[in-house]
Amino acid sequence: MNENSMDYSVREYIKEVEKRLPEWLKNKKEHKEILADLEEHLWSKAAELSENGQPNEKSVKLAIEHMGTPQNIAKEYKRRGEPKYYITKELWPYYTKALGGVFAVIVALVVIGLVVSFFTGNDSFGSLIGGLITGIQSGLLISFAIVTIIFVALSHEGYFPEDFKSEKDKELMKELREKKIEEGDPTQPLTKPLKPFIKQGGTIVGGGIGLIFGIVLLSQPFPTYMFLPDFLMILRIFGLLTMLESSLDISRGIIGNRRPSTHQALHAILIPLKLSVIPLLGILMNRPEIFPWFSEPWIHVGIPVEAYVFYRGIFALIIAITCLTTIENFYNIIKIQKYK
Amino acid sequence: MLQKLIKKVKGMDTEFQEYASKFESEINRGTSTLSILSIISQYGKTGVHGYQISKDLLEQTHNMLIIEEGTLYPILRKLEGDRIIKSEREEEGRKRKFYYITVYGEKIYNYLSGFYSKLTEAIAPLFDVSVHLKQNKYFYCPACSNKIDLKNLEAKYCDVCGHYIEKELDERGLIK
Repeated sequence: MNENSMDYSVREYIKEVEKRLPEWLKNKKEHKEILADLEEHLWSKAAELSENGQPNEKSVKLAIEHMGTPQNIAKEYKRRGEPKYYITKELWPYYTKALGGVFAVIVALVVIGLVVSFFTGNDSFGSLIGGLITGIQSGLLISFAIVTIIFVALSHEGYFPEDFKSEKDKELMKELREKKIEEGDPTQPLTKPLKPFIKQGGTIVGGGIGLIFGIVLLSQPFPTYMFLPDFLMILRIFGLLTMLESSLDISRGIIGNRRPSTHQALHAILIPLKLSVIPLLGILMNRPEIFPWFSEPWIHVGIPVEAYVFYRGIFALIIAITCLTTIENFYNIIKIQKYK
Repeated sequence: MLQKLIKKVKGMDTEFQEYASKFESEINRGTSTLSILSIISQYGKTGVHGYQISKDLLEQTHNMLIIEEGTLYPILRKLEGDRIIKSEREEEGRKRKFYYITVYGEKIYNYLSGFYSKLTEAIAPLFDVSVHLKQNKYFYCPACSNKIDLKNLEAKYCDVCGHYIEKELDERGLIK
């Protein structure tokens, strides 16, 4: 083996290691440094193992043996994170969030399908609910399997959440970390964290309650003969708007304190959605004769004429409050800007 | 890790060899990381490059703790990611990467090395061997096993668990 063939053996070995390195490492700048360090180590070892301090055919071969197989080196790089049911602890929160997100989308799609069938088809309410349950069940099962397989594979390859961040963010985190190491206090948070801009649990629960309320208004599973058709139609439209608004709230809750731009976009969509309720409230305000008024023995009558002023006053107040709630969305759009 | 040693022994059947090799890997995983940390710690502010670490590891363990040298770098990378060690590349010459233990790493190392020493001492009778801790050189915190170098003894409390150690030190006549 001459100098060229020794070079060839080393190059081939390094190429094999490179081929097997995990994908998350291949995108990094340090990938080339890792290979350079291995090569440097290999030549030093070959020199040490030779009798005259100069690498030779035998010593290069031995040095490659000492380095271990490319598979084992790659395996060691992939050994990252704390195992937790085949998915690492580091990826676990993202796994649960991904499941939540996918589940929400599936439920939303099935519900939309149900609404369309309700208005266009001739199916009974019972069969529609049956279809809803079956659709949700199979959708959840398939999506659970797919998401789980993806996350098990990512854990096996040693992916960390930070591997999905932009190079710019990674550099920033590295700089902060190095600064903390110099200060000898790496256990403290790297930056003074901003307060979370969303309470995930509360938003999801609130959205869920809203969604159920919207479904009830839309499907009207109560005796409808007591109400006028115009009032029932307004309730349906109101239910649909509530469902849309609640779905957006659930989405915000699932996204959590990430993706500030998406949160801003969702708040921007929520503003016209909230304002679109106002024409409905206006119709009800001007037509007190269709609003149900219950009195013994539970027979529907319109609002008594003497209560018209009070009735309209209440609706004017509700319209004013609805307008005011959009201020919160404008405020959030501005507030979230600093989390970018 | 130690697979190479065991493969050298002739006459071992494959099943035995595989089982023993797997078990040895398990035993060696933590031990080799701690040993690597020990070597980096020995070099202090001078720092040490990867090749020297593998060389020292062999020499200081009398060729007993053999790691596949290529797997040393992922271990070093992990330690660096965990902020236990830091690295700097030579600006000139071979531009090798030098590794240094951090202040945080020193604290972790002292604790783990104390724990490991006490554990080795405790399990030694199970294998009919004796281990003697260097009690004249180090003080092991009675509450958490943190290893405290008597040369650098300043605080009255263990810097890991906060245990009041002055009384024990006094009893051993270590307070001047």
